[in-house]
Amino acid sequence: MSSDIVVSCKGVSRTYQEESVPVHALRGVDFEFARGEFVSIAGPSGSGKSTLLNVIGGLDRPDAGTITVDGVELNGLNETELSDLRLHKMGFVFQSYNLIPVLSALENVEFIMQLQGVGPAERAERAMSMLDSLDIVDLADRRPGDMSGGQQQRVAIARSIVTNPVLLLADEPSANLDSATTEDLLQLLRRLNEERGVSILTATHDPIVMSYAQRQVNLRDGAIVEDSAAKVA
Amino acid sequence: MAEIAATASKRDVGRGRGLVAAIAWRSLWRNRRRTWLTAGGIAFGVSLVVFSMAFQAGSYGDMIYNATSFLTGQVQIQRADYIELSRFEQTIGDATETLRRVEQQAGVLSATARVEAFALVSVDERSFGAQVLGVDVERERQVVNFFDRLSRGRVMAGPDETVIGSGLARNLNADLGDEIVVLGSAKRGGVAAMVLDIVGIFDSGISELDRSLLFVPIAAVQNEFGLGDEVHTIVVRTQVDDSRAVVEALGHQLPEGLSVRNWDEVLPEIRQGIDVDRLGGMFMYAIVLMIITFSIVNTFTMTVFERLREFSMLKAVGMRPGKIVLMVQIEALLLWAIGVGIAMGLMVPLLAWLQSSGIYLGEAIVELAKQYYITDRIYPALGPASLLAAPAVMLAATQIAAFASSLRIYWLRAAAGVRAAE
Repeated sequence: MSSDIVVSCKGVSRTYQEESVPVHALRGVDFEFARGEFVSIAGPSGSGKSTLLNVIGGLDRPDAGTITVDGVELNGLNETELSDLRLHKMGFVFQSYNLIPVLSALENVEFIMQLQGVGPAERAERAMSMLDSLDIVDLADRRPGDMSGGQQQRVAIARSIVTNPVLLLADEPSANLDSATTEDLLQLLRRLNEERGVSILTATHDPIVMSYAQRQVNLRDGAIVEDSAAKVA
Repeated sequence: MAEIAATASKRDVGRGRGLVAAIAWRSLWRNRRRTWLTAGGIAFGVSLVVFSMAFQAGSYGDMIYNATSFLTGQVQIQRADYIELSRFEQTIGDATETLRRVEQQAGVLSATARVEAFALVSVDERSFGAQVLGVDVERERQVVNFFDRLSRGRVMAGPDETVIGSGLARNLNADLGDEIVVLGSAKRGGVAAMVLDIVGIFDSGISELDRSLLFVPIAAVQNEFGLGDEVHTIVVRTQVDDSRAVVEALGHQLPEGLSVRNWDEVLPEIRQGIDVDRLGGMFMYAIVLMIITFSIVNTFTMTVFERLREFSMLKAVGMRPGKIVLMVQIEALLLWAIGVGIAMGLMVPLLAWLQSSGIYLGEAIVELAKQYYITDRIYPALGPASLLAAPAVMLAATQIAAFASSLRIYWLRAAAGVRAAE
């Protein structure tokens, strides 16, 4: 596999049982994602975009197929190994921010580095520097409950990229934000992608988010129906 | 992947505790009322058990001291076969030297020798069987407090004087100043006969003793019963806590054939009474602590349930399940510390004060207390066992409750939790 490929999915399928009725969330998805790309996975509700993001992030396991992230095949990894992979190679931005409510913004950003074993001085410096680069230093001592949705999402982004992950996964990052805040957030993601080379994979059905991505993959009924990269090729 | 795991395990293990502890501490206060209720429950349970155990231990100490100081002493030395058969001729020979060696043993505060004989005692036409106890009154007073219980008269001052039980006096229709005739069998088969003046009457509160016991100077009994320098029992006074060590030491030092017994062998009913009471206490404490434990289980079940979203997010961002469980364990530890801190803050000063002042049992209970060798005032004993047992049990209970409640974190699917939250 080329070192420029961050994510590779081959024949990935995932079926849920909902009240004894099988729901085919993913049907044999083949997908590759190059380092430094900003890709949006689009599709209507229930198309499988969140499921695809989850199996790539090791939050869920596919029923069939193989997934490789930065050269590591996820099949066969146990929960602890998956946790370590997420901790060291991935960053997550969730729809509902999912910050730790009892920690301040600075502590939330520091926390991931602490899990990685980064020393107190270094992590405090890096966390503050990250808040500064996202223009949210003034939020450092505030807890999530004292921040707006946009502010929380910025802190969530700071948390997700402070460890320099190879891949940033964002699931409906704009779902709870107004248009102005969404634009602001997307400019930030684009800046991170262009300036820091962060690979971003986002699942969305928001046209604004799609418009910021370099590549758009459309899912329907668990299968890729359109990939802008393929069109270009 | 192996490389990542190896690096991660080297760097991550033992780190990341600072903010984990901070999350645990701050999370406790997300639901203040529940935290205070649970900590209050722990404080109540621990206080109750510490208070009760301290008084239980204190009352045992008093009971043992009072029971052994009454007549038996803390340690007794007899011939081994005398304990089994109680034959008059089964004596300790060379008693003066044996008593001297006993008194030299470290831990022995004082000691006295006794001769025990069964005899027929008569006053005028009335006769009863009784136990004659030959004693050295001065030595006895250094070992036991029996002679403080004379209800009338005085202790013996000469070889022809006796102190008898109130029940025996009543049965013989005798009183102070009357003559009492003692007839028994001497060691070598002759008749031992003594005529004694009753100079004192005791009322021990134990009717069996009051009906059957009379005290006579030891030299007179040895002389009349043909014993020479022989005795049946050497009674030893020690600190209650030292008695076991003294028994061990004397057991090695004294001639073969002598049996050295601790108070719990001489008075097994006291030990049994304490054991039964302790068992009853343990049962009550177990029920109290179990009720508190159920409330802790409930607290942590709710805590984990309410925070599944947070825990799934923590798994999603790469926190190992074991570390999340550790965080819940730290919460349990902090909750325990708050509860135990409150309990100790209240109980230690209170019990320290009560250790000097005691609690008066009241008039109604004084007579009953006497039967159980308890004084009219009970004092707590603040020892490691009474102070640490309940906190240790609650520590284990909180940790087990937290662990059992947080086990589901291991099986919690990060994606399911994150999705459910959205």
